[in-house]
Amino acid sequence: MSELKPIFNALWRSKTGALLLIVQIAVTLAIVSNAAFIIHDRVSFLNQDTGLKAEDLFRFNLYTFGKNVDIAKQQEIDETLLRAIPGVADAVVINQVPLSGSGDSTNFHLKPTPQQSRGARAAFFMADENLLNTLDVKLEDGRNFEAADVVYSQGFDKTANVLLATRSYVNELFPDGDGLGQTIYLGDNPFKIIGIIAPMKGPWLDDEQADNVALIPQVMAAPFKRVLIRTEPGRRGEVMQQVEKVLLASESERVVSRITGVDKLLLEQTSQDRLMKNMLLVLITVLLLVTALGICGLALFNVGRRTRQIGTRRALGAKKSDIVRYFLLENTLVSLIGIVLGVGLALAMSDVLMRHYSLPRLDNWFILYSLAGIYVMGVLAVYWPAQRATLISPSIATRSV
Amino acid sequence: MFLHYIDLGWRSLRRTPVVSLLMLLAIAIGIGVTMTSLSVYHMMSVNPMPHKNDQLFAVQLRTMDQGADWWTSDNLPFQLTYQDAMNLRKGSVPFRQTAMLKTGFGVKPANPDIPPFIETARAADSDFFAMYEVPFAYGAAWDKAVDLQGEAVAVIGDELNQKLFGGGNNVGKDIVLDSVSYRIVGILKAWKLEPQIYDLNNGAWGQNEQLFIPFSLLPIQELKSWGNNNGWKYEEENTYQDKLNSEVVWLQYKVELKDKQAQQDFRDYMAGYIKEQQKLGRFKRDDAEGDIKNISQWLDYRQIVSADNKILVGLSFMFLFVCLANILSLLLAKFLKRAPEIGVRRALGASKTQVFAQHLVEVGMLGLAGGALGLLIAQLGLYLLRSGFSRYEAVAQMDLTMWLAAPTISILACLLAGCYPAWKVCRTTPALYLKTQ
Repeated sequence: MSELKPIFNALWRSKTGALLLIVQIAVTLAIVSNAAFIIHDRVSFLNQDTGLKAEDLFRFNLYTFGKNVDIAKQQEIDETLLRAIPGVADAVVINQVPLSGSGDSTNFHLKPTPQQSRGARAAFFMADENLLNTLDVKLEDGRNFEAADVVYSQGFDKTANVLLATRSYVNELFPDGDGLGQTIYLGDNPFKIIGIIAPMKGPWLDDEQADNVALIPQVMAAPFKRVLIRTEPGRRGEVMQQVEKVLLASESERVVSRITGVDKLLLEQTSQDRLMKNMLLVLITVLLLVTALGICGLALFNVGRRTRQIGTRRALGAKKSDIVRYFLLENTLVSLIGIVLGVGLALAMSDVLMRHYSLPRLDNWFILYSLAGIYVMGVLAVYWPAQRATLISPSIATRSV
Repeated sequence: MFLHYIDLGWRSLRRTPVVSLLMLLAIAIGIGVTMTSLSVYHMMSVNPMPHKNDQLFAVQLRTMDQGADWWTSDNLPFQLTYQDAMNLRKGSVPFRQTAMLKTGFGVKPANPDIPPFIETARAADSDFFAMYEVPFAYGAAWDKAVDLQGEAVAVIGDELNQKLFGGGNNVGKDIVLDSVSYRIVGILKAWKLEPQIYDLNNGAWGQNEQLFIPFSLLPIQELKSWGNNNGWKYEEENTYQDKLNSEVVWLQYKVELKDKQAQQDFRDYMAGYIKEQQKLGRFKRDDAEGDIKNISQWLDYRQIVSADNKILVGLSFMFLFVCLANILSLLLAKFLKRAPEIGVRRALGASKTQVFAQHLVEVGMLGLAGGALGLLIAQLGLYLLRSGFSRYEAVAQMDLTMWLAAPTISILACLLAGCYPAWKVCRTTPALYLKTQ
């Protein structure tokens, strides 16, 4: 460790340069660890399981403007026509589309109004008995709808009286886990929970209750409807091209619009998160590059400035590896101080982000990964200049004196 | 002298090409990253009607009964019920006012070659066009009397006019919406208002409606809401009349108030209205109140600029800071290495100020070049944003302010970074270096 003293002295003599490098490393560490943590957060959000095969699903809007169309009857005809298209696995007229970013949710309660009771919010999908098969979600417990359960109505004048729901939703209403077979209420309309379905997401991914989903066997006749279709794998494209023609041939006083794959809706919905992830990735990469180039450039200068000193050391018997070690040790010393400051800065930054933008608390592992990465990067950046320093001939020392 | 300094600076930069390039890249990348995120932030937070900022107000009422709360920061719903919108708009305090609903229709063109299509529409009052300075190409807004009685008239946008009729003056012709004929009374010029301050419920960015009809048609045509509907209690809703009578909030209501006095008058008017309604058995809560927010308050309140964007801007500036620290240390090393040369210049009569100025000019040149290159990088970044994220098409742009901001920030930052090294080098003692030469 006798080498440390001259290194320290050399740094002290050009303390501004060293100080700048320390500040750079500290700020870099703070940015990288926080940004990496946010990226990790977003990636796990983006890669979560939706419980649906979005790539086989697509949707469209069906808007009937003809005042003389019997919408209820036409919906039945439409479903039959759509299910007959080759490549279609199943199709339903539905009130909202999963993963689409827009839809309806409501509170079901344990007791009918006006009694006060525990309630919980769920996104509700309304369609006929083909709903579960169209979504291709498994029934985990209980039974699926049958045709006899389906209620056809104009509005909420009459309602279905059974429903399916995800386990997480049922357990929110019945924490003891005995929800199957129980009755819950929307206003004073009773719904018996007849089945538990496998986990699936509702319309919103960023919803606090994204897993709360209820399926209701009810079809409302309305001018504006959505249609959800599942195709056999790989045949979605061809089916998407046919639906408009098939439907308008049956009844022309209407408009088919926004024929879109559900995977595309999901991408649109998560665009903000994907953008953030990509921007931060670019930011980290470029930042590390700039810092590495800075360290490298400064080391090169130092080599140039210390040519005579290095030559003298070599002449006095220092090996090439000693010269390399000198530069690496110098870099380590500076990096260490920078890293200590950087850890504090990273924590302070995370605190600000947490308080003002309600981000989760920075996981300490990310600081550890980042500081290891930055240290290795610093060593690599200094290695080439150090190698160049070893090329300095010992004779330089003798020549110019 | 300035030109001479530029010449000296250029020579000096060329003498150390690698280090000059490193510094140039550092500042360019720093500016590029910062300008990309700053431009998006700037475009997002832009107030599209700053001259009317203190005149156009969004109106909110706390209508829920005691115990029911809203999720907003001030416990006020964003929208109004039909009852409240209708009652409030009877008042004469505001200079102009409009209640609004986002709706839509199936449009069946008279020309059989054009297939029917869906068109989003906005039900509003005749004041809407004057409040938001919507320019007319032909005709005008419908008559004020229509706001009271309801009549099947429409104002259409330039694009819809092109689509339906191929352009031109088509005032007086009919447009068939959901099988009902509406007489066209006005046609707009091409017009854009972003962010869409009159209704931020379904995204601030995107196209403004191309079709406007009187708000008074709501009960007549039973216009459906194509926007957000939020209730706070369970209500039977079997008929359209049920919806009109309900406590569901689904309508926007905006007022134009000329001055502070008018604002106070309107607040008093709302307070009076709430008292009156409480007598009728509504607003059963202790802190029932109304509020008005001007455009910038409204944009802020609705959080048009996302937290992500603010974080990105913050991180980018920290990034720029690292780039500057980088440049500073490189400059310091470079200038000090040149100390012998400066020693000679000083001995030959150059003053400290001159040496200082000479180095600052050199740094400024670096800043200018870095800023220009940074602009290119930012343009690339914004281009990638636009092509990858359709939602950002409107905001991933640079306006004049940003074009000017880039070189300004760049030069200022470089000068800031260059001050210390330049000061350090101008203090060089000539004698020291003359000795060793």
